[in-house]
Amino acid sequence: MIQMQDLRYRYPDTGWVLQGVNLAVNRGEYLAVLGANGSGKSTLAFLLNGLIPHFFGGTLEGAVFIDGVNTRACQVSELVTRTGLVLQNADAQLFNSTVEEEIVFGLESLGLPRKEIERRLREITEALDLEHLLGRSPMTLSGGEKRLVAIGSVLSLDPSVLVLDEPYADLDCEATARVRRSLRDLHLDGKTLVVVEQRLQGVLEDGVRCLVVGGGRIRFDGPAREEEAVFRDEHLTPCYPERRRADATSEPLLAVRDLFCRIGKQEILKGVTLDIRAGETVALVGRNGSGKTTLIKHFNGLLRPTAGAVTFRGREIRPHRMAAHVGLSFQNPNDQFFKYRVQDELEEGPRRVGKREPDWFRDICDLFDLNGLLDRSPYRLSEGEKKRIAVASILTVRPLLLVLDEPTAGQDARLREALAVLLTKLTELGCTTVIATHDLEFAAAVADRWIVLHDGGIVADGSPEALQRDERVLRLGALGRLVANGGAVAFPRQERRDDAA
Amino acid sequence: MPLDPRTRLALGIMGIAAVMIAADPATLVFEFGVVLIFVRLLKIGRGWLHSFRLAVPVAVLVFLVGALSFSLGEAALLALRLINLLSVSFLLFHTVSAEEMGDALRKLGIPYEFAFILTTAMRYVPLIGQKIRSIVDAQTSRGIDLRLRLKNLGNLAALLMPLLVQSFLLSEHLAIAMESRGFARKGRSMRREYRLRTWECGLMAGAFCLLLALAWWERGGSM
Repeated sequence: MIQMQDLRYRYPDTGWVLQGVNLAVNRGEYLAVLGANGSGKSTLAFLLNGLIPHFFGGTLEGAVFIDGVNTRACQVSELVTRTGLVLQNADAQLFNSTVEEEIVFGLESLGLPRKEIERRLREITEALDLEHLLGRSPMTLSGGEKRLVAIGSVLSLDPSVLVLDEPYADLDCEATARVRRSLRDLHLDGKTLVVVEQRLQGVLEDGVRCLVVGGGRIRFDGPAREEEAVFRDEHLTPCYPERRRADATSEPLLAVRDLFCRIGKQEILKGVTLDIRAGETVALVGRNGSGKTTLIKHFNGLLRPTAGAVTFRGREIRPHRMAAHVGLSFQNPNDQFFKYRVQDELEEGPRRVGKREPDWFRDICDLFDLNGLLDRSPYRLSEGEKKRIAVASILTVRPLLLVLDEPTAGQDARLREALAVLLTKLTELGCTTVIATHDLEFAAAVADRWIVLHDGGIVADGSPEALQRDERVLRLGALGRLVANGGAVAFPRQERRDDAA
Repeated sequence: MPLDPRTRLALGIMGIAAVMIAADPATLVFEFGVVLIFVRLLKIGRGWLHSFRLAVPVAVLVFLVGALSFSLGEAALLALRLINLLSVSFLLFHTVSAEEMGDALRKLGIPYEFAFILTTAMRYVPLIGQKIRSIVDAQTSRGIDLRLRLKNLGNLAALLMPLLVQSFLLSEHLAIAMESRGFARKGRSMRREYRLRTWECGLMAGAFCLLLALAWWERGGSM
């Protein structure tokens, strides 16, 4: 079905991204392509549907055959019935105004007659259980629903091979399970699947053939087994440092009392009460849509309470006056870069709040290993480097409370390990940190207090070990089914790392 | 049976033209009344009022500038015309979806690529709005004030640069997604069936005659 022979490729203006790849995939196989950021795994996906070389250009040596057809000889638009590609960026993948239009778009591109379009629309919506979403705008869907619609929009073309680029990125446990179920069903129906992922979690259970890519070469090709050393070597399973118990004081730094928040008609927070004490590291966990981001936006006044109160060191939060005290770093680093040099980007916060501390600035640069990047442009860095700079640019202000929103989203295991080490060191320095995340493995590695948010309210507050046995959390499914099933994924064995301990 | 999107598009454009032509206060008030009737018939009062959140401040500004430059009466007319114009545009975009607009333009002989650009632009307006909110939140969190104030004008780069960079990234990803779903293929079919009925042609002709009559009336009875 898929054949790659002596494949070498480089994008215009880069070095060789793939260097001598040979691969054969049979009809009906389920292949997981695993690799860290920058390993060349997405490049492999783009090769399969002809985007390389037709869209990206660059230098391609060797050949890719899909169903016996050389992709070099066919335009991308002619290959759509052979290879269907589902992109990671759902905002780009879903560009129509309703789910129905989304599924139909490709069928109209093929020039199919009306009856055939209707037939395939029915078939796809039934197979993926999308009937109830047909009239909705893709923008209003949850992460898991968006991913299923994206799969449907490509699957409707009935491609011989379905390629998915990081289908589980940004999804919580529940949504991941739903997408995975659908992919398993498609595989059982005989579809050839290629799933490109950077996390092992999503693919281990499926008993699929695993391809580990690193440094532009295939490092491993075989059935997925967690114990394979190559997964650790290629940073596919994070190896977190041992968690340090934070020396929390009894002094509450931030206090939230009976907080309600209504946006439009929707009540997002329903009476949240909590204290964050100075010196502790707290993980605010819960499924997507549970209200985590809305809650932390109250910590620095980005949102005002509909009812209730939020106080910082006993005083009410004053919007636009909190940057010096509460540093909030959001998920997407690209939301904040606007300077040409990393150093200017890092100095912007201290300059704005009038709080320059050269020694602290140097310490942060050392801690985040940024000294070699200070003169570089933030736009031209890797995703991991961008994330480090985004968090560091908040810390240079030396806030008393650091709040991170989904810090591990879209990051590979190497960066998640680095972030965990950084947070451990910040805890040692006495920083108070709140991490809003649905990445339970990461939360378990960095925080010794978890606050579980579910449907706009706090359902549990305690140590991660206690919470995985908490009956209310399990009953509500507040942390997803994976915890309910024994916590195998949420709480992997913790290994010590000599360099971090 | 709903009207063909071409009919709705034509009626909308004629509605906009009618607002532009109107100069007499009575005509503008009458047109506002017609808008109210349509808002009531289509049961979209809430959405219409919601769209005023942005329209009213602009109309007030126009009124103030008009009052200072001309007279109070003239200022009220300018503000009312603006409200009418925005209301008719709201009605048009509410009754014609992005896809119908695209299909209508294709049926009118406009190449698919151009129709697609228009509909996609409509589709991405809310997304860009979301991006702006995320950027404002991220920058506010590190002390960069991006509220609509004169003193914050210098901070605008902190909003525009990330927005520009992300828009370029989004457009590249969009191009990849479109390409991967056969956008460039020739011989595209259309799933929806459209049929312009005779009475719809009559409706458009009638509306056009009314528009001509209005133009004649506004010019004092001479063409």
